[in-house]
Amino acid sequence: MTDVSALGEFEQVVLLAVLRLDDQAYAVSIGDQILRCTGRAVSRGSIYITLDRLETKGYLKSRLADPTPERGGRAKRYYALRPRAIDALRECRRQLEALWRGLETKLA
Amino acid sequence: MNRLPRGVEWLLRVALPADQREPIAGDLEEEYGLRRRRAGVLRATLSVWWLAARLALAFRWETVSRGRPLPPIADEIPRRFTVFESTAQDVFFAARLLRRQPGFTAVAVVMLALGIGANTAIFGVVDAVLWRPLPYPNADRLMAIAEQRPREGRFYGPVAPADFFDWRRDTQSFAAMAAYDESALNLTGTGEPERLRILRASPGFLDALGVQPAHGRDFRADEEVVGHHRIVLLTDALWRRQFGADPLVVGRSVTLDGAPYDVVGILPRSFWWPTRPDIVAPLALDDHDRALRAAHFLSVVGRLRPGASETQAREELSVIGARLSQAYPAENRNHSPSIRSLREALVGDVRTPLLVLLGAVGFVLLIACANVATLLLARASGRQKELSVRRAVGATRGRLVQQMLIESVTVSAIGGAAGVLVAMWALTALHALLPAQFSTLPGITGMGIDLRLLVATLGTALATGLVFGIVPALVATEQRVATALNEESRGGSGSAKTRRLRSALVVAELALSLVLLAGATLLIVSFNNLTDVAPGFRSDGLVTVRLSLPATRYGDHARVVAFYDGVIERLGSSPGIHQVATTTTPPFGGPDSRLNLEIEHRTAESPLPVRAHPHLVSADYFATLGIPLIRGRAFTDRDNDSAPDVAIINEAAARRYWPDENPIGQRISLGDPPQWREIVGIVADVKQQALDVDAEPEASIPRRQKFTSLGTGFERATTTLVVRSDLDLASFVPLLRAAVASVDPLQPLGAIRPMDTLIAESVASRRLNFVLVSAFAAVALVLSATGLYGVMAYIVAQRTREIGVRMALGATSWQVVALVLRQAGVMIAAGIAFGIAGALALTRSMTSMLFGIGAADPRVYGGVSFLLGLVALIAVAVPSSRATRVDPITALREP
Repeated sequence: MTDVSALGEFEQVVLLAVLRLDDQAYAVSIGDQILRCTGRAVSRGSIYITLDRLETKGYLKSRLADPTPERGGRAKRYYALRPRAIDALRECRRQLEALWRGLETKLA
Repeated sequence: MNRLPRGVEWLLRVALPADQREPIAGDLEEEYGLRRRRAGVLRATLSVWWLAARLALAFRWETVSRGRPLPPIADEIPRRFTVFESTAQDVFFAARLLRRQPGFTAVAVVMLALGIGANTAIFGVVDAVLWRPLPYPNADRLMAIAEQRPREGRFYGPVAPADFFDWRRDTQSFAAMAAYDESALNLTGTGEPERLRILRASPGFLDALGVQPAHGRDFRADEEVVGHHRIVLLTDALWRRQFGADPLVVGRSVTLDGAPYDVVGILPRSFWWPTRPDIVAPLALDDHDRALRAAHFLSVVGRLRPGASETQAREELSVIGARLSQAYPAENRNHSPSIRSLREALVGDVRTPLLVLLGAVGFVLLIACANVATLLLARASGRQKELSVRRAVGATRGRLVQQMLIESVTVSAIGGAAGVLVAMWALTALHALLPAQFSTLPGITGMGIDLRLLVATLGTALATGLVFGIVPALVATEQRVATALNEESRGGSGSAKTRRLRSALVVAELALSLVLLAGATLLIVSFNNLTDVAPGFRSDGLVTVRLSLPATRYGDHARVVAFYDGVIERLGSSPGIHQVATTTTPPFGGPDSRLNLEIEHRTAESPLPVRAHPHLVSADYFATLGIPLIRGRAFTDRDNDSAPDVAIINEAAARRYWPDENPIGQRISLGDPPQWREIVGIVADVKQQALDVDAEPEASIPRRQKFTSLGTGFERATTTLVVRSDLDLASFVPLLRAAVASVDPLQPLGAIRPMDTLIAESVASRRLNFVLVSAFAAVALVLSATGLYGVMAYIVAQRTREIGVRMALGATSWQVVALVLRQAGVMIAAGIAFGIAGALALTRSMTSMLFGIGAADPRVYGGVSFLLGLVALIAVAVPSSRATRVDPITALREP
């Protein structure tokens, strides 16, 4: 059983954005993706910190891409989900759906 | 390429964890390049800085709030960044340390906030009064020109009109020179009648100040001639208040004192003049007044011509003055023009008192520094082990000193920030204490914290942090590893050197406190001596009311007389009013004019100029003020134009000019034109200008007799009602208004001031000094007592084991107390000795501020030494009683 209580709301948002971006997920594109899907502009700092935290917790893995001249010869860090994260997201969704069920009339 | 700004790179390096730095910097750089292409370099740079700063903050906050170790920073960093980065690291470390020791931090911050805040506030006042230029272009070129009579000890007296016109004609050193005087008149026809302060200035006044009207025009040279003078410039405030800021008011006519005046312009909002006039009008004197050389009532301001120096101007004026003395020996002998800066003329000679204040408040800060330094020393000795370990693993001494200094500067920076709040509060509180002549200075009105003060505070805070931090840092890091570890293992805390240093700091604090106490006591005694001086009349229940009758309706002397007859009669019969009188020169608020005094049948050359202050008074004036009649008779209502001219002199005149004879019955003439009057009485001396100024010769003239030597409008324009009543102001004013209105409904009232207030204002500047210096001395006393307490408590704690041994061997409580007291006594005695020496040296500079007491008065020094000793002993009492309660068994069992 995955411990989903360790997954915060913003962490879910970031994980989902990474998942949507396939192999193109890095901080800037993640921020753009969140903005496009949710309309929320999130600060870059919180994205970096959340990515770092998720990696520490073992939900994300990252790789450094080859340096490019646009980046002053600096590498780019791409993120991808570990299976553990997929499980955690599924579990979150299940729990939320369970809570939503039967509320359609009340929230209509 | 689109390299990131260097500062951004540095910020990222300092703030971000090493493993995150590269990709994040890459992201930023990519984005920076994109924005440069889209929005230009400037906007791209600003946005990347903004982004980097927020990132840095986010990462730092994340690190600190989660209590994780700070990310490694020193690796792979070019050499030139290490200083910055280790500094940043030290600041974070210091902040964390201070948070962990809230007690120490709070005490240190409070002491520093008080010290720095008080310094900032006093600096604000001193800066505004002494150093900040007046709000005119090239204000240092503005001079106040006056007339001096060095032989009478008068250096900056008012100027006679004819002298001014001659100076203005002959001077080459001044680009512009203008005379002015100030009075009040009544604005009617715009709704509620308003009494306005008017500055009458000769054309060229605004030129001299370098001020241009915001709308309309300045005065023209021909407008100082009677007949062309009915024009005014409105100040911005009046223009907004009465005319709704309507620019079309220029060219319109307003009614002042019943006469029409054309508004020719509006002064700019920035126009400043200390007396805050509402309107400026040309100073137009009629031919009689223009020719006056013996009546001095004008002030003169001039702007030095480019290239002309103050010295040149002074020399030139003295040449002109000498020429005038030769041409008009009767009026101008023994006097000459004098100049000084306009600032000095406006704020007075307050340099010494203000610098004394600045010195006093600086002492308080020094004491606070010494106290924080002793705290730091105590704290450093508790950290010996940490420091030794750090040294043992390779930290250099310089690095440790740097870190400790950064800690102390961090404390002082927090203290400085809190000090700004203290200063804001203190400035507001100070405002009420400031004497009137500088509470209107531009730096003080709306006195807040501006950039200049902030820079001063920041500088003070940094200097403070270095001052109190450097010695503890050096001492704490000096110890060898082995010694420190040894001492630590024995359970002691700190070395003998630290203890000596703390004792020395306490001695310094006590000495500084004694200097402040001595200064404060001298000022308090002076103030008491001064307020004990009898003014020569009864001031309680006495109220003065300024009235100024318009020339249009009161051009004739008889009408002036009739007006005051009516007011005196009507007001005098009102309930609660005991006596009513008039004078042109009330004590503590009247003009200071002097006229040449001629004595009939006396032609011998006098070594001193024979002069007297003229007063035009009503018959009951002396009785109303309670001034005793020494000889002869008082005035009566029969002393009018149809009776022989008479005068009453004061004792000072009698003493000086008739030392061996009876002046009663002699005839004198005051000023020009000669008009012989018989002396009918002598009254007692009155303090006319200030409590610390001795009475000068005076001659009083009954108001019903015409007197023109001071100009035709003198009595009409400047008469003061003096009323003795037992009513409070609230019930008095309606009676007064009714009485004046019953005589002339169009006549408004001028300033209504209780005499006690006027006297209090005359000592306001001394009050400011003694109140502040006393407050500083009290703070100093508390701080140094706290410091002494801290050191003694520490010494007792340190010697607990020794005391225990002594008690075990049979020492009594008294012997233990004596042991502690001996140690404290040495410090207290040294503090008092150094303090007395310092005070004797420093209070000498205060001589001019003292009254009735010498700067080296032994009673003062004895008293404050006793007080300081007493407070110091109280501070020592707690630690010494603790020493007697030491339980030998426990003390010896301690590790």
